[in-house]
Amino acid sequence: MGLTFALARTAATALALGSAVGCMDFGGLDEKVELGTNVADWRDQVIYQVLVDRFEDGDLGNDFNVDRSAQARWHGGDWAGLESRLDYIAGLGVTALWISPAYRNVETDADVDGYHGYWPQDFTAPNPHFGDVMALRSLVRAAHERGIAVVLDVVTNHIGQLFYYDINLNGHADDQVRGGGENSPVLHINEHDPDFDPRGVQAETSLGEAGPAPVMWKRDPLTNHMPPRPAVLERPEMYNRRGRTLDFEDPDQLLHGDFPGGLKDLDTTRCEVKEAMVDAYARWVELTDLDGFRIDTVKHVEREFWRYFTQKVRQRLAEQGKKNFFMFGESFDGRAELVGAYTKSELPSDEQLARENACVTDGRGITGDQLDSVFHFPQYYTAIRDVFQLGLSTDRIEVLWNERDKYYGLTAPELGTGIPPLSALVNFIDNHDVPRFLYSASPAALHLALLFVMTEEGVPCVYYGTEQRLSGGNDPANREDMWLTGFDTEAPTYQYLARLGALRKRHAALRKGTQRVTWASSRSGDEPDAGVFAFERTGGDAGDSYALVVVNSNAAHESSPAYEGAPMKVGAAPGTVLVDVLAASGASYTVGPGGEVAITLEPLTGALLVPESQR
Amino acid sequence: MRGSLDPLRSPLARGVVAIGVAALSLAPHSGIAHADEPAAPAVSDTGIDKALATPADEPAAPAVSEPSPPAAPAKPPATEHEGRFSFGSYGRVLAATDAEGRPARDTDIVVHGSRLDLDSYVELELRREDRWPALEAESEVTATLAVGSPLFHWDGEFDARVAVRNLYFEERGLGVRGLDAWVGTRYLRGDNFYLLDFWPLDDVNTLGGGVRYTAPTRTRADVHLGFGRPDNPFYRDLADRPAPLGQFGTATIELLDRQRMIGSARLEQTVLFGAGPGGLKLVGYGEGHRVPTGEREATSGALEAVPQETGFVVGAEIGAFSGERDGFLNLFARYASGIAAYGAFASPEGLGLDRSTAGAHELLLAVVGNYELGAFALQAGGYVRSFRNASVGLDFGDVDEGIVIARPQLWLADFAGLAVEGSYQLAQRGVLADLDPEAEASGAVGSSAPVPLAAHVGKLSLMPFLSPAGRGSFKRPLLWLAYTATFRDDGARMLYPIGDQHRARSIDHFFGLAAEWWFGGTSYGGD
Repeated sequence: MGLTFALARTAATALALGSAVGCMDFGGLDEKVELGTNVADWRDQVIYQVLVDRFEDGDLGNDFNVDRSAQARWHGGDWAGLESRLDYIAGLGVTALWISPAYRNVETDADVDGYHGYWPQDFTAPNPHFGDVMALRSLVRAAHERGIAVVLDVVTNHIGQLFYYDINLNGHADDQVRGGGENSPVLHINEHDPDFDPRGVQAETSLGEAGPAPVMWKRDPLTNHMPPRPAVLERPEMYNRRGRTLDFEDPDQLLHGDFPGGLKDLDTTRCEVKEAMVDAYARWVELTDLDGFRIDTVKHVEREFWRYFTQKVRQRLAEQGKKNFFMFGESFDGRAELVGAYTKSELPSDEQLARENACVTDGRGITGDQLDSVFHFPQYYTAIRDVFQLGLSTDRIEVLWNERDKYYGLTAPELGTGIPPLSALVNFIDNHDVPRFLYSASPAALHLALLFVMTEEGVPCVYYGTEQRLSGGNDPANREDMWLTGFDTEAPTYQYLARLGALRKRHAALRKGTQRVTWASSRSGDEPDAGVFAFERTGGDAGDSYALVVVNSNAAHESSPAYEGAPMKVGAAPGTVLVDVLAASGASYTVGPGGEVAITLEPLTGALLVPESQR
Repeated sequence: MRGSLDPLRSPLARGVVAIGVAALSLAPHSGIAHADEPAAPAVSDTGIDKALATPADEPAAPAVSEPSPPAAPAKPPATEHEGRFSFGSYGRVLAATDAEGRPARDTDIVVHGSRLDLDSYVELELRREDRWPALEAESEVTATLAVGSPLFHWDGEFDARVAVRNLYFEERGLGVRGLDAWVGTRYLRGDNFYLLDFWPLDDVNTLGGGVRYTAPTRTRADVHLGFGRPDNPFYRDLADRPAPLGQFGTATIELLDRQRMIGSARLEQTVLFGAGPGGLKLVGYGEGHRVPTGEREATSGALEAVPQETGFVVGAEIGAFSGERDGFLNLFARYASGIAAYGAFASPEGLGLDRSTAGAHELLLAVVGNYELGAFALQAGGYVRSFRNASVGLDFGDVDEGIVIARPQLWLADFAGLAVEGSYQLAQRGVLADLDPEAEASGAVGSSAPVPLAAHVGKLSLMPFLSPAGRGSFKRPLLWLAYTATFRDDGARMLYPIGDQHRARSIDHFFGLAAEWWFGGTSYGGD
């Protein structure tokens, strides 16, 4: 720019244009974000999961294409709205917030909107429906001021449906290129989401196959079907390009297939992809001081990626002062051996390790460390569904728990949270991917299940609206508008959860105590102990803090932890008076000389017993 | 200058009481550039007395404040009714290109930028003017037809963008000397900022009526009440319903149909320095806006309430005029709130949590002046403006902006000269720029933090011109050649989408051939 322009600019600025120009208040944008360690021990936390689009609309200025009449459309929630409700959340005893992905998504696809956040288009830009970077930073700061950590949902497995496979080489996306139904449940094979082909999706003409189908980027700004960002992801070789996963039991399809819905699978073994994901997501932390990642679709990504991603994120953030950064993954599967595999510290073969280290540019070689934790999906099926919703026998919980040592990581990752993954599993009763608990169970069962996850070993995670007894079925019916509840802090389940949170905070045993099953029953009929499950927690990092949890998941009759003359025996010293801190009556039970405790519970009730001296 | 039977009603006494044309689409929340609405310089509103008393080919009145000596009220001639038709026009035509042969585009990043790149536009005004000597009254019917770009010989489309900008009847002096009344549709505008095609204080366009009283003390008061119903969903929502009485088909109903009612009041006082010709002009101005509540149909088919909207404008102007060669300096301050902070014809965006415009506001400060000495003239001024929509937080609709502009002119002969126009614009939107240009180029993730988007543009123009009406900043017609270089910084480039020429270029070149005229109309140049 010429001298004239520079002089004019200087003069004009001096002429007090600034009296009205340049006084926008971006809320501390100029302040450097100091990364800090905001969580001392993740076992102390209670996570609250929020779908940002559904929680609260705090800024109508970003309500683009909002249609609240349909559950699969944008509804207008945003970060400003969520921030305005932090006191409500804090009142629950929540200490960590898990929020929807922050990046920009595909706006809408096949008449379903990207309100959930799992259709990434630009990993570097904020979702304009939710606000700008300052709105997110403000949310995180306000949460921290209330002692609430913030966990960001992230996706590394795929992008949105941003390209199509030009199977018939005609240069546009065809909704049907051939019939289906033989090996596929999809009746109409289209170019957006064609069936899996281990060779890669093939082009074909009337004369037969014609080689790999070209990748064709869509370019529709209105729906944000635009090439991805960062721009390195525009290169076709960054994707596996094998089509839609049909068989999730086939490892090739599981790892390399597109996620159903045309979500294109990134080749997460490539160095460029690994680096892009670390850069993109570490930058969100650096911009806002986030405290953790909830990682989507973990089982669809190679272990080598998790080793690289988690280690490089930890190293980069630790250098800036952020430690105890919690990364837990979603492996939507009931098999503990699969789910737990992402938490184990295991080195691959030398050959594989050498290949992985080829991506390392900072000289810090890859180790066996992976995630800090995972969602306890096996328990969701075994305990929450089978026991608390279906009323099956409780011994299956004991079996599940007894096998955990085999399947989950027993050592804390270097620069991680300092907690072995086994002790920090994220326990939940429902989330945005499964029907709400109340969809098929009673409020009494809900309270019982909440008692269970809030007191067992691990980190409890509560899905928004549980406290208001929302009861939607499968996605998207389970993603209700929270504002319709009125944010009633007098609601019975809100009060119950708040009480559980307070008790968990008060009694270290419920957070850090070693866990031991004291009663489980193989019976689920008329037997006197049918439906009873009990465990005690003490020792470990909890010292002499002690708690005994007893639940009766039987909906038909009262039950006791005793059978055929054999009572439940606990580790508390004989003569200890245990008080039920959940019961309004404050009922107490004295530990017998042999450690036995006799207690009878009404159907679908529980007790939380602590020594009277620790009450 | 034409004479006037009542100088206090003349444009000279009033200063720049413009009834111009532009800026309708330049709503506070609108885009960064001029809309393609027509523009016009300042003028005076009028009196048939002047029109009847002066030849049509006399030079146009300047767009400035000038004094007029007080004159004794003239007795109505003892003749019968006098009537005539008259014609007036404001217009401009522009043929222009950039350095690559593309049509030259507006390069401004502020709402009101240099007028040198305004599109072609013409107003054709017909008036019927009558004088009723026995009643000492005058009446006038004014119809102004406006035609905007594009023109047929440019795009080959045999159609036109036509609007009726004025259609009103005005009665002056009926019953009470100095008391005038009008009814119809018209634009009510005060003094303008010619270089920016901008009316900083009062610029109201409605269908309604008003009265005006002009006192011999050089005091003038105007009040007006009018309505507007822009054709957008904020004001109007149509819905289909089954036809009544068992008939086939559908019937369309106006579920939401609400008007924006605008009332305005303006008080002006002119004070001469001694016997003149110089003096001061003081103006106080206010508007009240109201849009009633209503209901419209949500996507689900359910009816939802639409809240009432209210708003106001308060403003003031202080002007000094030399009374010679259009010398003046005017200062403006204006504050608008609520619905009044949004453009009159806009569908307000960025609503508050109560889904209304409550909380929106706009503050505007402006200064403009003209000075002429010998063969030299200088027009200059600037404004700063801050607009916040009603939504919480900052977004793209929130704007701080400003411009300074100057156009010195030198007449090399009585009919020709050279002008230079320079301007500097600054605009800040309530958004953050997230992308790191270097990272964007490399395809990698940027490491830099987002920054507020501040945009800067500098413009420099050379204008050799021909002026058959002689020397003066506001002499028309005017024919000119123009070259403009626009300098755009990275912030300004970011305002345009990727792929746009203005995103790609930091310097733009503009070559134009243009003409502008005004005569005999109520729009510019007086009667």
